[in-house]
Amino acid sequence: MAEYIFRIFRYDPEKDEGTKGRVQEYKIEVEKGWTVLDALNYIKWHVDGSLSYRRACRHGICGSCGMTINGKNTIACEQQVADLGTQVITVEPLRGFRVIKDLIVDMEPFYDKLYAIKPYLITYTPPPTDKERLQSPEDRKLLDGKYECILCACCTSSCPTYWADKEFLGPNALMKAARFVLDSRDEGWEERVNAIDDKHGVWRCHTIFNCVEACPKELNATRAIVELRRLMLKGRL
Amino acid sequence: MKFPRTSGGFYAWLFQRLTGILLVILLIIHFAITHNFPKGGGVTYAAVAPRLATATWKVFDLTFLVCALFHGLNGVWMVVQDYVHSETAQTWIFYALCTLGLILLVLGAITVIPFKA
Repeated sequence: MAEYIFRIFRYDPEKDEGTKGRVQEYKIEVEKGWTVLDALNYIKWHVDGSLSYRRACRHGICGSCGMTINGKNTIACEQQVADLGTQVITVEPLRGFRVIKDLIVDMEPFYDKLYAIKPYLITYTPPPTDKERLQSPEDRKLLDGKYECILCACCTSSCPTYWADKEFLGPNALMKAARFVLDSRDEGWEERVNAIDDKHGVWRCHTIFNCVEACPKELNATRAIVELRRLMLKGRL
Repeated sequence: MKFPRTSGGFYAWLFQRLTGILLVILLIIHFAITHNFPKGGGVTYAAVAPRLATATWKVFDLTFLVCALFHGLNGVWMVVQDYVHSETAQTWIFYALCTLGLILLVLGAITVIPFKA
């Protein structure tokens, strides 16, 4: 057991409307092996039931608990408290999104960008009778590092280009676009290109690499964006 | 895979990279020849003027000028697109940048082209 101070961003729309929110401190005993999500759960269940945050799987799969911990975006359920290396831990909602309450942000703009690139397999030719649409291992390999995204929004929230231009598709939607564009079974390029090849699309990225640093799944959205650009370059020249 | 539409930034992106690469090459040549890098020295009128008067060097300098102007002003335009949110203001700034580029291009060209040693 070790004592930690959690400085948590608080915003109650009923009390704090019109303000920038406030910071509340909680001093708690943290057990060995606790993640930041464990600590938040402890605070909510034993210290202050009014604290609000999203959580679901606790196993780094659902992407619900994306937040900014000590200035870095990550998912709280995968962040060990002891690994942070500080006794005072700052927990804030993801930047770039409207705060609904405490650590909960409005994810609608994030999902809107995702829907814009049509994040599902689009096909026009019928599949082989009673068979799956097969892929060669080589074609399947092209999707590695792209399909594993859990939609936690840590990347888009860390992107300065997204902070400046809220119409920008953002690293998440562009990586998802690459995941489908590069899929050998997909035939939906024509339907996706309008969103991707746009001044708020793939050309807007300034390759700042914040998204790469922020991704808790260690995916490289910048590389996916570059792959999309390379495809467009080859298609035009 | 077809690429049916014109870009929402493709050419600006492409030429930003091409001019960037060209600028590095041209700068190296410029420093190596004009500034006698790495030894240095020799930047006198007598040494530089005859070279500047040659057609090759005029083409070199004009290419340098066009690349630098495009690269710099397109960079400013990218920053403007990020931080100026009004479409009207963006349009005005775009034309202002084009005008500025044109003026600087003409100024550069009338300095370089008629130069005689």
